[in-house]
Amino acid sequence: MTTSTLSAQTIGKELLDRYETVIGLEVHCQLLTESKLFAADVNRFGTEPNTNVSPLTLALPGTLPKLNKKALEYAVRMGLACGSTISRHTIFDRKNYFYPDLPKGYQISQDKAPICVGGGIAVATKGNEGTSTERLIRFHHIHLEEDAGKSVHDGSDTETLLDYNRAGTPLIEMVSEPDLRSAEETGTYVTEIRRLVRYLDICDGNMEEGSLRCDVNVSVRPVGTLAYGTKVEVKNMNSIRNIMRAVEYEWRRQVALLENGGTITQETRMFDAETGQTYGMRVKETMNDYRYFPDPDLCPVVLSDAWLDEIKSRMPALPHELREKFTTSYGIPAYDAVVLTETKEVAIYFEEVCAHTQHYKSASNWLMGTIKSYLNETGHDIGTLPVTPPVLAQLIELVEDGTLSISTATQKAFPALLAEPGRSPRELAEANNWLQNRNTSELETLVEEVLSAMPDKVAAFQKGKKGLMGLFVGEVMKKSGGTADPQLVNQLLQKKL
Amino acid sequence: MKEYLSLADIQHDLRAGNTTCEELVGYYLSRIDAHRHLNAFVEVYAEEARARALEVDARLREGTAGKLAGLVVGLKDVLCHAGHGVQAGSHMLDNYRSPFTATAVQRILDEDAIVIGRQNCDEFAMGSSNESSYFGPVRNAADSTRVPGGSSGGSAAAVQANLCHAALGSDTGGSVRQPAAFCGTVGLKPSYGRVSRWGLIAYASSFDCIGPITRSVEDAALLLEIMAGPDEHDSTVSTREVPAYSRELHWEQPARVGYLREAVESEAVEPAIRERTLAVLNQLREQGHTVEPIEMPLLRYFLPTYYILTTAEASSNLSRFDGVRYGYRSPEASNLEGLYKKSRTEGFGDEVRRRILLGTFVLSANYYDAYYTKAQRVRNLVRKESEGLFDHHDFLISPVTPTTAFRLGEKMDDPLQMYLADIFTVQANVVGAPAISIPNGTDEAGLPIGVQVMARPFAEQDLLAFSNYLTELIGAGESVK
Repeated sequence: MTTSTLSAQTIGKELLDRYETVIGLEVHCQLLTESKLFAADVNRFGTEPNTNVSPLTLALPGTLPKLNKKALEYAVRMGLACGSTISRHTIFDRKNYFYPDLPKGYQISQDKAPICVGGGIAVATKGNEGTSTERLIRFHHIHLEEDAGKSVHDGSDTETLLDYNRAGTPLIEMVSEPDLRSAEETGTYVTEIRRLVRYLDICDGNMEEGSLRCDVNVSVRPVGTLAYGTKVEVKNMNSIRNIMRAVEYEWRRQVALLENGGTITQETRMFDAETGQTYGMRVKETMNDYRYFPDPDLCPVVLSDAWLDEIKSRMPALPHELREKFTTSYGIPAYDAVVLTETKEVAIYFEEVCAHTQHYKSASNWLMGTIKSYLNETGHDIGTLPVTPPVLAQLIELVEDGTLSISTATQKAFPALLAEPGRSPRELAEANNWLQNRNTSELETLVEEVLSAMPDKVAAFQKGKKGLMGLFVGEVMKKSGGTADPQLVNQLLQKKL
Repeated sequence: MKEYLSLADIQHDLRAGNTTCEELVGYYLSRIDAHRHLNAFVEVYAEEARARALEVDARLREGTAGKLAGLVVGLKDVLCHAGHGVQAGSHMLDNYRSPFTATAVQRILDEDAIVIGRQNCDEFAMGSSNESSYFGPVRNAADSTRVPGGSSGGSAAAVQANLCHAALGSDTGGSVRQPAAFCGTVGLKPSYGRVSRWGLIAYASSFDCIGPITRSVEDAALLLEIMAGPDEHDSTVSTREVPAYSRELHWEQPARVGYLREAVESEAVEPAIRERTLAVLNQLREQGHTVEPIEMPLLRYFLPTYYILTTAEASSNLSRFDGVRYGYRSPEASNLEGLYKKSRTEGFGDEVRRRILLGTFVLSANYYDAYYTKAQRVRNLVRKESEGLFDHHDFLISPVTPTTAFRLGEKMDDPLQMYLADIFTVQANVVGAPAISIPNGTDEAGLPIGVQVMARPFAEQDLLAFSNYLTELIGAGESVK
């Protein structure tokens, strides 16, 4: 008897479904502070190598760290947004290890008393019959730490170049509980975190540039069991899609390994975006003992009530709060609210439009339709859209009161406004003769002309071919040069027929 | 030229036109030259000091000179001074020049102090004899076969031999006070957080203090007054107001003095030191002060606590010396691990390697709680015990050291014996209290003896006033004999 060996590629759905994946994430976000976590150097991506490197960043002898309060504030913002408990007494610890991109030989991080404890992020999970439920993915904690520099191995096997610009820049690390159960959920979770940090203005969420980075811990266990399997840590994913691919691959690999009678080794693996696979690092895995201890150069930080209140008062509205507001105060559908809050910028734009017109659903349609297509086509973002919210609101008002047809508004007026942002929609419409003709006697004449030219169609209509109405309206519109108000035309036709 | 005991005397003569900074600098340079065998200086800034002397002389004439005009000072080789070498007595920092100046140094420069050179010390301030320096041992000016103490040995010997008027050292467990005692000078360790550590090459961050070594309490007070106070670069420095210590040096009221019976009666303390310490206590009694023996049940834990915590911090503080960015890099290394191992093995001396290994051990996962955590707890207990003592006593008096200066090489092979030299001094660092070493006569061989006065944290004003008074009292006692 022969048995073929299973692999991640060949393993079937039936076997896979006998296992559940258990996923926990460590998400690092680079904070958008002006300066570094403990040094006055500029915190900026993409500057010439080793230009933002003060004596402190280079760990020259005699230098001492000084906490950037803004970074602490940003970490607190994230904690508040995620319902974490904010530690009123927080400590910085040294994590000791040697690496050339780590100038001090230790990283200042937080171990025993991190700034935020608990909390989490609600993730929508699709059920079996298209239902959607929200599940809280819990945080173990959020801590602040400094980033390392970068080692560059450009085209040389024997030389390593070091760029310390990034060394000492502030990061928050959100460590989740092992609450995620699928690649899809993991993707949603990271998307939510990215959305949130952007809303909070604390991180640009750019994964390609490494502003948002992720280490994923994956294990599998037979469905219905509680004990966790041996976990594997996967690194090197630079997009949400790759995170999902890595989880998917690990699920398959680990199940195949177990089904083959093998065991999972606890290790760190790298994801290869080319192949979609993960690889063991093939280095001697020595147990790292980081020898954490409180950094004696930094005093414990005590957060006062007053400061915490100040941070709370500066918190921007969060996506879920805006969704709630959009559906209840503006009465727009839940689906619209989700789409409009995908980015903070669109949500803000929508809110501003709603401050100038009460036709909320129309505003939502514009943003989800015409404006979204325009932005997608041009690659612009809404922040630079030449049509400002008050102008869009005027345009919406013109459509709603019948002055402009919706097709004229979207196909003619909107492009014209993009080209000439300074002009008012009404002025433009008048100048271009786009106003709808709502003159009943003029339109009645046109209706009569059209009907008398098509007696057989009229007869057919009267015998029940109601679908011909469209043809009549179209003909009248044509005769009016497109200016007739189609609704009015419709009414007049009904009357005549 | 006459031998000045205080900066006030120097400034008096400067104002009277009896001398100039130029002349003073020339005098010290010639003495440094004549005392090369002491090995007190690592580097002498002869031309720079002469040039600066001319500038200060000009400011004196214009009446715009700072409070330290006329002060010629040496810096222990752990203090950063922009554009100047600094290498903590180590091969590891060969050719390293600091691009910035320590806050304490900047503050004395701003008051027109003239830096004449950097001074030899134990490697990374780890040692009690100044024998662990890469630049070789420093010798005691009272007997050149003996050590000057450490780690600020070069600074103490230089002040002792009048190679400069004062020096700035650093004190982590007694490194200012112990050499001051061995060399018959005044050595002040301020409260932890009184003086910014920015620009001080770290040994153990929660213990390190910059302190002056001087020829009078008055000068120590003046230097502290100028160096102390908040600094945006150091978040552990206190924001408490800095009193004008040098103007408040009179002690008139009765003091409550405690002394450690064990320290004064112990056989481990040399007889001459016991006698001199008891003599001081008797003089104080005679003057109507309350002098009482005290118990410190935790005394035997002072040294273990100190060595566990300081080595733990040191093991981490010294990780930056890795041969990657500056300092010594082994020419033998062919890969990354080799670069670290070889550079650090060749760059650091035995004592530094010993303490890094000890510190790494006490922080390692399996021993962390047994050593580091326990030592932190004991540190807290020692703090509480000391606070309790200061509820009933203004000052604690003890010998500075159990012995006078020992011979070169005498303790180099026995680190534990060497560590015992710190037995009376470490308490002040463990609890963060200010303490001073003042001269208290000599033994029969003419070797200096020091007496230590310690006060509660941030009570420098009382400490200095009382020490000034005590110095006069000791001087009066001496002259009676």
